[in-house]
Amino acid sequence: MGDHCEQTMRRLSTYIDRELSEAEVRKVKAHLDDCPPCEQVFDFQAEMKRLVRKECCTDDAPMRLRAWVRQLATEKPKPAK
Amino acid sequence: MDQRGVAMSSDFSLFERHLDALYRSALRLTRKPEDAEDLVQETYLRAYRYRNRFKPGTNEKAWLFTIMTNVFRNRLRQRPAPEDPIDQPGADFSIYEQLRREGMPVHLMSPEEIIVDRGFGGEVKRALEELPVPMRMVVVLVDVEDFSYKEVASILGIKIGTVMSRLHRGRQALQKKLWEYSGRPKAPSLAVGAR
Repeated sequence: MGDHCEQTMRRLSTYIDRELSEAEVRKVKAHLDDCPPCEQVFDFQAEMKRLVRKECCTDDAPMRLRAWVRQLATEKPKPAK
Repeated sequence: MDQRGVAMSSDFSLFERHLDALYRSALRLTRKPEDAEDLVQETYLRAYRYRNRFKPGTNEKAWLFTIMTNVFRNRLRQRPAPEDPIDQPGADFSIYEQLRREGMPVHLMSPEEIIVDRGFGGEVKRALEELPVPMRMVVVLVDVEDFSYKEVASILGIKIGTVMSRLHRGRQALQKKLWEYSGRPKAPSLAVGAR
């Protein structure tokens, strides 16, 4: 594993989370385009992140809780501007 | 400033749009539907009580999550759980790397083939709910709720560096658990930097 690979792996999470500067994003992207082994690690970790989101987004709030929140919102007049 | 969850008015009814997000996160934190519901109710009651402190145009979703994580942490303090080992560095682990070491041709497989077909995808919620609370909060806020590191630091009142290290260790711990749930022998630790 070369220096570029190591640098890319260190930045992989921040890259996946869209937390890198544009200049750093360009560097990581350029390396991933060039280096299939690193690109595969990226694809895998990005898919893990998507999976966590997908699995957790299936729980919607119960209707009675929504009704309760709605009632709270309409209980009193809006604060005057 | 990005547009995630930004409201233009302090009209309280707008806060309802974040109910599903608050509830699913409350469920990951408390692990029980009735406790999650209770946590969300208290969050909205406080948000309602302090609604004049909310600055219109700022991130209402982050504001609600700040309230909720504070309420949750206060409750934990009242019913102390065993100390979670947090901020110590853990051993690196990744499912991908482990399979590669075991000789599986992961480079010929799509991520979906690796995760789903090999049985790692089924118990994500359970794995997440077993993470120590500080890591779990960060993983939920970043990976599920799509908050930026900066927003999470502000919501939880911790440094960005702490957000990043908890996220890193949380994700690895999550993969370790998914590895074990898939019926494989206990996840061996990979030495850091030993690639």
